[in-house]
Amino acid sequence: MNPLIPLMVILPIACALLLNLLHKKDRTVKVLAIVVALVLPIIPLLASYGLHFFGGYYPLSENSAIAGGLPSYITNSALNVFHPAITYSFESAQKIMIFILGLIAFLAIFTSLNETKRPSGVYAFLMFMGTASVTAILLSDDIFNLYVFFEIAAISQVGIVIASGVKKNYETALKYMILGNIAAPMLLLGVAFLLGVTGNVNITDIIYSIKNGIVSPQNPVLLMACGLIVFGWLYGSGLPPFHTIKSALYSKALPHGAALLQAFSVFTFVGLGIIIIRIFSYLPFSKIVIIVISLLAMILGVTMALMQNDIKRIIGYLAVGELGYIGLGLGIGTAFGITAGLFQALNEAIITAFLFLGFGTVLYITKKSDTRKLGGMMIETPKLALVVLLAGFAMAGVPPLNAFQSKLMLIQASIQAEVPELGIIMILISIVTFMTFMRAFYTIYMRPKPPELQITNKNIPKATIISLLVLLAICIILGLYPKIATNYLQVLANSLV
Amino acid sequence: MGIYDIILKRIKEIQSKTKEDEPVTNISTSSMLAAEITLISSLIVASIMLRFINKALMMVAVLILILIAVIAMPIMPKLRKEQSDSFSNMLFYMILALGIIITLFYWGSVNV
Repeated sequence: MNPLIPLMVILPIACALLLNLLHKKDRTVKVLAIVVALVLPIIPLLASYGLHFFGGYYPLSENSAIAGGLPSYITNSALNVFHPAITYSFESAQKIMIFILGLIAFLAIFTSLNETKRPSGVYAFLMFMGTASVTAILLSDDIFNLYVFFEIAAISQVGIVIASGVKKNYETALKYMILGNIAAPMLLLGVAFLLGVTGNVNITDIIYSIKNGIVSPQNPVLLMACGLIVFGWLYGSGLPPFHTIKSALYSKALPHGAALLQAFSVFTFVGLGIIIIRIFSYLPFSKIVIIVISLLAMILGVTMALMQNDIKRIIGYLAVGELGYIGLGLGIGTAFGITAGLFQALNEAIITAFLFLGFGTVLYITKKSDTRKLGGMMIETPKLALVVLLAGFAMAGVPPLNAFQSKLMLIQASIQAEVPELGIIMILISIVTFMTFMRAFYTIYMRPKPPELQITNKNIPKATIISLLVLLAICIILGLYPKIATNYLQVLANSLV
Repeated sequence: MGIYDIILKRIKEIQSKTKEDEPVTNISTSSMLAAEITLISSLIVASIMLRFINKALMMVAVLILILIAVIAMPIMPKLRKEQSDSFSNMLFYMILALGIIITLFYWGSVNV
């Protein structure tokens, strides 16, 4: 057993709790939060691959001391391979995904602590709790444990929005909570149905039961469970019909908060999406549903982004649209397609965080996010304008940046799978994404400055600039050397086919 | 009357109904036109995938979509109104989505 595997979840939770105890000790809170946040992306790099059984409860097949004293009708049955405890699985795909999540969490926390005058408070607590929850979603092989962390992640997201102090944030947070009160119990009901049919909450064991005929794959309760889990997945990741509330949630968070929130959505999308494919891939319908929902997310996301006037709302809708690319990769279902989809997930998490932090500098210096009231920022922050422009290029898939590689892979995958229509739509949506970004960029940076616009904070914190440069460097590195990421993701993709 | 003018007229109609007072600018109308074209073209290209089920069905679907697009154009102002932050709209579409997903998974998979 590798103690670093549970530490990826325990450390941010412990830090979050400790930050509360140190309330009002601003300097200590700042140092502790930055040190722990810096450790978050390092742990997955140091941890070795494998399984972690909580409480040391190994399956009987690996626990000869207990298995030796049991009758043969137990050791010769499926019980011999079942996992009696909560199990965390850490493989190469989890390594790169938790690394990227930890890095975005670090940059968001680092930026927020330097942009706010009083670091002490619930904001950092919520950021750490959310990061711990989404890490657990990626690691957990236990669907009930996953649900618990899914709920904690949802509550943390609501908390991050409430703590932002943005106008009308309470209303949006309340709406998201009420919708969550309907959607999340549906996911729990799906988990309960799975438990009822298979007698198990361990995902590997559920798959074993279905593949070995212990449970009928066409059991109607199992099909209902799949539908309910898919519905919970839509809520968690902000796919239609939850795209409106999710983009509103991003727009009511502070830019660093929104950068982290979208990373939560992306990795929740991937975590639950992989589970749906692992358990229900025998239903051809599951992949069709993933493709249809992804197409809807892309079309609705990008078309709605075109009609927004708030910078954060524009990026929020674009982020929803970009989720569709990941879904198409998973829905195409080939190893290459799934690898491309997962690579797109990493790229999207990085680029959207980059855009939120980049446009966040405009909000920081003007206190305005309405594009109709902005303009002339190119004169105020010319170097940052170039960085934000590169972020937009990255999102649209301009070479040699990272999303170019993943989008190209996705288009190739769609052609190889003999569904070129998906490739055409992906190209079309990329063009419109670029247009949407350029429209926002033009109105904020290139249009003449409105006379009533005032610059309230001239100096952008160095932490924000460092975060932007780190994200830009990752975009370039992954664009030039995509294999750094795809080699990690390929193993998982091969296992899902 | 060109598509641009039709869209401009429709935006003003909806704004007068919803009592919005934001100015209709060149950028907002062009954006809506671009969104309109994206929506229609994406849906038509997506409907070509129905060829995997039946080629005749695909042709009928594409023709119906083109017809709807011509008759209902501009769609985006209506879609924008539907996709607003109204809580009742969000709840409606959520329940609708839940119903569709459960129906498709339960009856779709049982009867296929």
